[in-house]
Amino acid sequence: MSAAAATLAREGRVVAALGRRSLSIQFRRAQLLMPTFVLPLMLLAVIASGTAAGQGLRGFPDVASYLGFVVPGTIIQGTLLAGLTAGIAFAADIEGGFFDRLLAAPVHRASLVLGRLAGTVGLAALQVCFFLAVAAIFGARYPGGIGGMVAAVGLGALTAVGIGGIASAIALRTGSLSLLQGIFPFVFILLFLAPAFFPQELLVPVLRDASVYNPLTYIVEAVRALLAGDPSLGNAWAGLAAAFALAVATTLLATFALRERLRTQ
Amino acid sequence: MSALAHSPSLLVIGALWRRSLYEVLRVRGALLPATIAPVVFLLGTTGQFGRLTGLDGFPTDSYISWVVPLSCLQGAGFAGAATGVNLARDIEQGLFDRFLVAPVPRSVLLVGPILGAVTRSLVPATAVLLVGLALGAELPGGALGLLALYVAAAAFCAIAGLWGIFMAVTFKTQQAGPLMQQGVFLAVFLSTAYTPQALLTGWLGEVAELNPVTHVLELGRQATVVGIEPSLAHTQPGLIALAGMGLVFGALCLFGLRRMGR
Repeated sequence: MSAAAATLAREGRVVAALGRRSLSIQFRRAQLLMPTFVLPLMLLAVIASGTAAGQGLRGFPDVASYLGFVVPGTIIQGTLLAGLTAGIAFAADIEGGFFDRLLAAPVHRASLVLGRLAGTVGLAALQVCFFLAVAAIFGARYPGGIGGMVAAVGLGALTAVGIGGIASAIALRTGSLSLLQGIFPFVFILLFLAPAFFPQELLVPVLRDASVYNPLTYIVEAVRALLAGDPSLGNAWAGLAAAFALAVATTLLATFALRERLRTQ
Repeated sequence: MSALAHSPSLLVIGALWRRSLYEVLRVRGALLPATIAPVVFLLGTTGQFGRLTGLDGFPTDSYISWVVPLSCLQGAGFAGAATGVNLARDIEQGLFDRFLVAPVPRSVLLVGPILGAVTRSLVPATAVLLVGLALGAELPGGALGLLALYVAAAAFCAIAGLWGIFMAVTFKTQQAGPLMQQGVFLAVFLSTAYTPQALLTGWLGEVAELNPVTHVLELGRQATVVGIEPSLAHTQPGLIALAGMGLVFGALCLFGLRRMGR
C-alpha cells in the first residue's frame, strides 16, 4: 500500500470513529433526540390535519395524499435540525475541552470536521427513514416507490451536511454553546422561505419571490417529486445540485473556520 | 398597609420576581430567541398558508390577523415554560433547597417566578402584535379586543409556567426542558391554530374541540379577527378554560412541591 493510500485509510478510520461517537452521543442524550425526531413529526401531524382543506384551493396539484405532499417539508425540517445539532455538539466539545484534546492527535484537521459531519449524515438518514415510516403508517403514500424513497434519504442526508457545515463553522468561530442553541429559530426562517408545506404557486407573493433564491426550495421540491414519482412537482437534478453545492460550500467554510481558530488561538 | 407590605410572603414574592427579571437583564440577548421564534412562526405561517383564507368558511380574508393571536400565545407560552427550566436549574444546583427553608408557605415560592414570566411574556407578545400590525393585521376589536388578547397571553403564560414547574419538581432536571416546551407547543397547535374549527379535518377537529386552548385562542382573536367581535360569548369560554387549567396545573404543582424533600 502506498503512503498516500495508508494516510487516506487512517483518516477514513478517524472520520468513521468520530462519526460513530457523535451518533452515540446523540442517542445517549434523549433531550437531543426530542427536537430532531419528535418536533418535526408533531408539526407534520398538526399541519397535515390543520391545513388539509387547502387541497381544495385552485392551483393545488393533484396528489395521492396530502400527508405525502407535506412530508418533504418535515424531512427538510429534520435535516435542518440534524445539522444544527451537529453544531451544538461541536460547541459542547469545544466548551468541554474535548476538542482541544482532539487537536493534539496526529490527524488531518479536516478529518475532525468531516467526522462530525459523518455523524450528521447517519443521523439525518435515520431521521428521514423514521419520518417516512411514521407518515406511511398514518396514510402517506409514496408512488415514487423504493427508488424514490432511497433518493429522498440521500438528498436529506446531503442537505444535513450542508446545514451541519454552517453550524459547525459558527461553533468553530465562536465556541459558544448558548449561541448555537439561540439560532434555533433562525433555522425555521430557511424552512419557511421554501415551499416546504404548500406549493410554490400558492405561497404569498413576497415569499414566492424570495423562495427562488433559497436552495432548500429546489431540495424540497426534488424530494416531493421523487416520493410522488411525479416530475411536475420538482426537478430531482436541480435538488441534487443545490444540496451538493450547499454541502461542499459549507464544509469548506467549516474547514476554513477551523484553520482560523487554530491560527488565532 | 405597612404590615402587609412587610409580610414575609410579599417580600419573598417580590424578591423572586425581581430575580427572574434580573436574569433577563444580566444575560445579553436572553429574550431574543424567545421573541424571534414566534415572530418567525408568524411570518412563516402567514407566508405558507396565507391563501387558506380563500376557502369557504374562513371568517377573515387576512390570514395574518388569524395567526397573530396564535403567535402571541406561543411566545407567551414559551416564556412560561422557561420558568420550569430555570426552576430545574435551581433544583439541580441546590439553590431551591435553600428557598424551601424560607419561613413562608411553599406555594409562595412559585408566585414570584410566575409573575416574572408573565412580565417577560409581554415582550414577545407585543413584538408579535407590532410586527403583525405593521404587515397588515387588522384590529377590529379595538381596546377591548386588545385587552382580551393580553389577558389571554398573560394567563396562558402563567399556565405554561405552572406546567413547567410541575415538570421541574417531578423530574428535578433541566433535561426535562424539551418536555416543558413541547407540552406548550402541542397545547397551542392542537387547536384551531391554522384554520377555524369547521375547516379542520380528521382527528385534529375532535382534539381541537376538546382542547381548552381553542377557547383561549378565541379569547385572543377578539382583537384581530373580523367576525369574532368582543363579547361575553367569546370571552367566557376562554376565561373558564384558563381558570380550569390554572386549577389543575396549580394543584399538580402544589402536590409536587409538598413531596419535595420528603
